[in-house]
Amino acid sequence: MTLFLPLLVLLPFLGLPLLLVVDRLGRRAVAVAAGATMLAGLGLLAALAPPVLAGDALVLWRPWLPDWGLDLSFRLDGLGLLFTLLIYGIGALIVLYAFYYMPADDRLTRFLMTLLAFAGGMLGVVLAENLLLMLLFWEVTSLTSFLLIAYKSKYHDSRIAARMALAVTGGGGLALLAGILLLGHIAGSFELSVILDRGDLIRQHRLYAPMLVLVLLGAFTKSAQVPFHFWLPNAMAAPTPVSAYLHSATMVKAGVFLLGRLYPALAGTELWFLLVTGTGAVTLLLGAYLALLKHDFKGLLAYSTISHLGLITLLFGLDTPTSAVAAVFHIINHAVFKASLFMVAGVIDIQCGTRDMRRINGLMKYMPVTATLGIVAAGAMAGVPFLNGFLSKEMFFAETVAYPSFGGYGTFVLPAIATVAGILSVGYSARFVHDVFFNGEPVDLPKTPAPPPRFMRLPMEVLVAIVVIVGVAPQLSVGWLLETASAAVLAGKAPPIKLAVWHGFNLPLVMSIVALGGGIFYYWRRDRVFTLHERYALDFSSPVAFERAYNGATAWARAALARLDARTLAQYAGLFLGLAILVGALAWLTSPAESSGAPLAGPLPLTPVDPVSAGAFLVLVLGVAGATWFVAERLLAILFMSVAGLVVSLAFIRFAAPDLALTQLSVELATIMLMLLALRFLPQTGPAERGRKARVATGSVAVGAGLGAAALAFAMLTRPFETISGYHIENAKPLAGGTNVVNVILVDFRGFDTLGEIAVLAMAALGTHAALRGARLRAFVRDAASAADRYPIMLRMLMQPMLPLALAVAVYIFLRGHNLPGGGFIAGLIAAIAYVLQYMAGGIAFASARIRLDFVLLLGVGLLVAALTGVASMVLGFPFLKSAWTYVKAAPLDDIGLASSLVFDTGIFLVVVASVLLVLTELGRLHVVEPALRPAGRAGPEPSPARAPAEAEG
Amino acid sequence: MLPSALDILVSLLLLVGGGFALVGSIGLARLPDFMMRLHGPTKATTLGVGAIVVAAMVHTSATSGRLSLQELAISLFLFITAPVVAHLLSKAALAQKARDGDG
Repeated sequence: MTLFLPLLVLLPFLGLPLLLVVDRLGRRAVAVAAGATMLAGLGLLAALAPPVLAGDALVLWRPWLPDWGLDLSFRLDGLGLLFTLLIYGIGALIVLYAFYYMPADDRLTRFLMTLLAFAGGMLGVVLAENLLLMLLFWEVTSLTSFLLIAYKSKYHDSRIAARMALAVTGGGGLALLAGILLLGHIAGSFELSVILDRGDLIRQHRLYAPMLVLVLLGAFTKSAQVPFHFWLPNAMAAPTPVSAYLHSATMVKAGVFLLGRLYPALAGTELWFLLVTGTGAVTLLLGAYLALLKHDFKGLLAYSTISHLGLITLLFGLDTPTSAVAAVFHIINHAVFKASLFMVAGVIDIQCGTRDMRRINGLMKYMPVTATLGIVAAGAMAGVPFLNGFLSKEMFFAETVAYPSFGGYGTFVLPAIATVAGILSVGYSARFVHDVFFNGEPVDLPKTPAPPPRFMRLPMEVLVAIVVIVGVAPQLSVGWLLETASAAVLAGKAPPIKLAVWHGFNLPLVMSIVALGGGIFYYWRRDRVFTLHERYALDFSSPVAFERAYNGATAWARAALARLDARTLAQYAGLFLGLAILVGALAWLTSPAESSGAPLAGPLPLTPVDPVSAGAFLVLVLGVAGATWFVAERLLAILFMSVAGLVVSLAFIRFAAPDLALTQLSVELATIMLMLLALRFLPQTGPAERGRKARVATGSVAVGAGLGAAALAFAMLTRPFETISGYHIENAKPLAGGTNVVNVILVDFRGFDTLGEIAVLAMAALGTHAALRGARLRAFVRDAASAADRYPIMLRMLMQPMLPLALAVAVYIFLRGHNLPGGGFIAGLIAAIAYVLQYMAGGIAFASARIRLDFVLLLGVGLLVAALTGVASMVLGFPFLKSAWTYVKAAPLDDIGLASSLVFDTGIFLVVVASVLLVLTELGRLHVVEPALRPAGRAGPEPSPARAPAEAEG
Repeated sequence: MLPSALDILVSLLLLVGGGFALVGSIGLARLPDFMMRLHGPTKATTLGVGAIVVAAMVHTSATSGRLSLQELAISLFLFITAPVVAHLLSKAALAQKARDGDG
């Protein structure tokens, strides 16, 4: 059974492609698919539930990144069961509701996919056994919440609200990450089973306080506790199904869930009590107070949610077993009645076209059934007897009375806070009921309210039915659920629970009566409160204030970044090289002097200098010096650079590295072509040199870097140094069946590396393609004669027969690669250059018409071939990219070494060809030379005016 | 040891090649205008390098005892590229001249 545990989390994610598939069948099919996913989750939960209800916790553990302590482990215990039930159960109702709520022209696919992804993330949070894994899902909920709040993305309000929610909950997520890392460090594991067992160790650790603060920051931001509460009312910009699901029933409960989850490990200290109870109490009061003052009824509900979350937090903070039970009970009750209230609010919003309670009045007449449902749910919110909210509120009152003292400030403080909060919550509930459903006639509504569709009401009816059933027969209906969930929170030490409606005439009942009476009186005299509030209260939770802070921080960060980073290549290079010089010099100066005297030279003898090498290196130096000297004359600089490149390839030949020489030569060619192409778009001469001081600075960095690299190379090469190359040379033939060690290393020994490298190459090429595609510089018109003469026939005639010749060379080089210098990389470069020559000789239009290759496709095929080779060996039971080889006798040829790495090499070949061609042709295409008379139809958008190249003047 | 006929042949070829390369280089440096200067390197690359390549062929064939022909590839490629390069250069010069004249 345990094996199906991950499925419980994965199910919503598995539903995502399903939604995409049924998208074409219309929005009804999409909604059915999403609802079916939720119901399937409920079914799976029912199948998994029995052992959990018997008191066991199902745990499934699979290693993922064991070195980091991150494992794929899931845990289904009472608390997880409760939340899973809420997520899937309310989720199914929300899908049905959203089908009617969302406008008919919304295809629902995007909306429900995000909602499902959220459900998956939330399930991951509540079912993860590994805390790091939980954090991963925690972030999923933050992100999907962001996407859902911003769902109506064309509205500015939605976007700002979404950003605010992301900033607050994302910031909290960072704090939580730090807290969890500390917790894992303290407990020695990230697995919940271990952490929950080591509560004493954790509480006595010296890092307990910072860890607790960080974890609580995560929980409080998510659960909208003061002072992080302000994102939640703004998040009401989301469509109402989202408000009902994420921002009242599930996601905002993640914070209090975390409190419950870590309760056995963290609770029970003075600090816990002060922070959690204190924050909870302030949130409870402030939320309840502000709720009454909101004219927008979604805002009222949002502040009410904040207040109720504060209540749950407060209960967790009291940390007596019964208070934890009360907290869990209130989580259930609040989710049920608040979700139904939001649904009612959504109906009213649609039917009235506004959410302003000063205009919406007397809806009882227009939609009696919905209004009744709303009134019952609001009664539960206020704590009216025989509704579920009454029971948990009663338990809350009882807890505050029973709690010994509030940090030594006397026994009356907590009950007083509770009673005041009760009065306030009755007040705002009364306002919601009275203003919306009674209080005369609607004022100036955009449309006439009508009852909602029949099945839109169904989710509300279900939820309100639960409200009443739990309120009347609590022990019978939710006793079992509460018992298992509390047992999980309290690590098996749950007190016996006996839910009953009537506890006799006692202090909590008096408090309830006071709250009800006082609340109604408070609502009756509300005008006074409004006046006072408007006169004195500071609105520190408005989006404007947040935006100001947000923009300020962004501007500050940008300014700081601009100081550090002037975005010039010279500065980057200077910083990196300077740092490298500094580190190298420090290491050299502080190292203990070696016994051999000369600190640089090692014991190995120097190779005698022969005149040819010396001459070649002199040419190299001249080439580099020339490139530096003529850097402003770009063409000249490139010519000097190519001299340097050629000498380097010669040097590779001199030191017996023909593979490198071949590669260097082809890369050199491709680079020169690339630079010449780029040069067409630049002025022929560079900008004026900067001042003397800057030149001295850059010059010294350059000289320092050169000398440092030379010294390093000298020091390394004069020392005996055992490298891995010995191993590679010895094993190339026996292990990989090839004698060309370089190629064997590329395609076999370090094949995974190569796969990564060609992937990077492909990404770079695709990036260039994406950036340049469709970009055109200003076309310049040539007269017909010079246009015709642009690609001389002599060159073209010569290049065309060269193509098959060059390709044959490429194939030859490719095939022999495993044993002789060559291979996919070099062959790819040669083939690419052969093609590029066609472009150069005949022009883009000429060559494009003849070379009908889709380079992007080629790129993908190449990568796929390379990756599949690796996978194939895995399928056969070998490690990734393991190669096999054999020799084939073919009559006219030598033995052909056939290795599976040849297929891998084909992938490399294709990627290289496609990348080089993609980049070069995009660059070449940038500048289209239009014929003298441009056909009007083909003109397209006017290209942006760019600096005309120097050769443009015809 | 007296030089053999082969040695003399190789030396002659080398001298001819070197001579043409030298003349070509001097021409490139000293001739008065672009079109004339263009003649210099074409001689050096074709006849000059050609003679040197033949010298190398003769020498290697004689010393290794096997007919060595791959050096021919060098002159083949030079024979192909040299005229194209000269052609392109002269076209560029013409274009530049036209522009200077107009501008």
